[in-house]
Amino acid sequence: MLKFKKEPIKNGKLWIIFGVLFLLSVPWYLPVGSYKPLILGIPYWGWIVILVSLAFSATITYAIKYLWITEEDPNMKEEEK
Amino acid sequence: MTGDLAFGGWSGVLIMAVYGLIMLAIGLITYFKNKNIRESNTEYYLGGRGLSVMVLFFTFYATQYSGNTIIGYAPQGYRIGFEWLQSITFMILVMVGYLLFAPRLYVLSRKFNFITPSDWLATRFRSKGITILGSILMLYGLGNYLLEQLVAVGQGVSGLTGGTVPYQLCVVFFIVIMLIYSWLGGMRSVAYTDTMQGIALLFGVFILVIGSIVYFGGLPSTADYMATFTPEKLGVPETDGIVGWFSMLVLVLIGASIYPHAIQRIFSAKNEKTLKNSLIGMAWMPFVTTGVILLVGIIGINAFPDLGEMESEKLVGMMANAIASENLFFYWAMILLFGGIIAAIISTADSVLLTFSSVISKDLYGRYINPKATEHKQIFVGKITGIIATGILLVIAWYPPATLYEIFVLKFELLVQIAPAFILGLYWKQLHSKSVFIGMVVGTIIATVMTFANITPFGIFSGLWGLLVNLIICVVGSLLFNISKSEKVEVDKVIGL
Repeated sequence: MLKFKKEPIKNGKLWIIFGVLFLLSVPWYLPVGSYKPLILGIPYWGWIVILVSLAFSATITYAIKYLWITEEDPNMKEEEK
Repeated sequence: MTGDLAFGGWSGVLIMAVYGLIMLAIGLITYFKNKNIRESNTEYYLGGRGLSVMVLFFTFYATQYSGNTIIGYAPQGYRIGFEWLQSITFMILVMVGYLLFAPRLYVLSRKFNFITPSDWLATRFRSKGITILGSILMLYGLGNYLLEQLVAVGQGVSGLTGGTVPYQLCVVFFIVIMLIYSWLGGMRSVAYTDTMQGIALLFGVFILVIGSIVYFGGLPSTADYMATFTPEKLGVPETDGIVGWFSMLVLVLIGASIYPHAIQRIFSAKNEKTLKNSLIGMAWMPFVTTGVILLVGIIGINAFPDLGEMESEKLVGMMANAIASENLFFYWAMILLFGGIIAAIISTADSVLLTFSSVISKDLYGRYINPKATEHKQIFVGKITGIIATGILLVIAWYPPATLYEIFVLKFELLVQIAPAFILGLYWKQLHSKSVFIGMVVGTIIATVMTFANITPFGIFSGLWGLLVNLIICVVGSLLFNISKSEKVEVDKVIGL
């Protein structure tokens, strides 16, 4: 049986980061109708949304790699032996 | 417009036939390699819990990104412009949703041998009401999802062939192929065909965007056009758009991650490492899938201005046809895109159908209707009901009831109502079964009534209002009523990790 050493849901900091990214991912904090400067044909706020989304993916990758750690329960292993 | 010329004649038929035959061949090979597949639920519905990283990743990918992602999302980008950047974020949020429950659910699925998502509800709550209602809500969501795929096949083929390959013929052809290979090899066939289909989907999407940029001009020229004629699609959205954007994110975060067919893939992983690596890959796919498709929709604003809502649904077909008529290379590239779209639709449909069958055969038939049935018989019942359900949905798909986008939103409304039971149940030992059940019933009623009456206060989807009430009942009920001592012991056995 697998035992949790670290579980993403129990990491408070992770969910604060997710919360901040969530709020930043929607451009409610920018002036309605604004689009200049356009960079490569994408409005400035589009780039902000894309960058926040990249940060989201990076955070998820980190969380899966380093905050989701399980290990075999040593007692169970002994029992199996 | 060059809508009628490109995919006429035998090239369209040829690519359809070749794709169909490859899928059939994969089904047959899987069948001959694993002849005992249909004697055991684990073998048939979970591929013997042995899917490797690549196969698991592509089956997640092909399942999550359907034909609708290409055919339906490009028109949505066309209609609302850069506001549809939300399609990148919400696809990423699906992965955040997984982080809420996948690690724990995976461990429990190994401990208790879950086959279907309802197995989790049954193990956790030991309540007939919750298991049956949860199964029915899942069947509704899955049926809706399958319907969406059938409509997508119709829209895609009529757009892409300019009507040369008849809409109905293509739909029926691919459904029959899908039923045969799912019947033969179960999850293994589905996952292996998904791998082939996922690669075709990725390839097709990239060819389409490259062709669009080459022949219709890149984003800068489209942005100039938008600035002059449709500035609302270029600027920061107004309050309505922002509220809709937020509620879409929340709805997908909760709704899409608990898609029953996606959950079943968590159960199918060979081991934890495989699951983790597949999910990491999935976290980056929105950029190269929904992001790229948004570009196609945006470029379409300049290429095919002023299309009405239903007309714009055929945008991808129009663009592909125009690109294909430019030269022979793009002609064949668009033929491959056509195959990729069909593959994407079928790969989602087959996953949905398999899970649909498993919920009927194991959760409703095997658990309540005929508990003495052998696994072989349960699987047989699942297959037959799967075929009947597909037949019924096919009749509905003949006359699509709404745009693909509307259908897409509709299926979440009820599916999200299982979220509190599903996710809170993993962590909160005090969760009170009766409150969970009542919350689920009330949430479902509210979401249904509000959807039919078209009531969306503050622009927030009715499913979320239902979910809010559902959650309040769940939490307040659990705080007010204590669970019995014997229940406490049972719950501890399940989630006392």
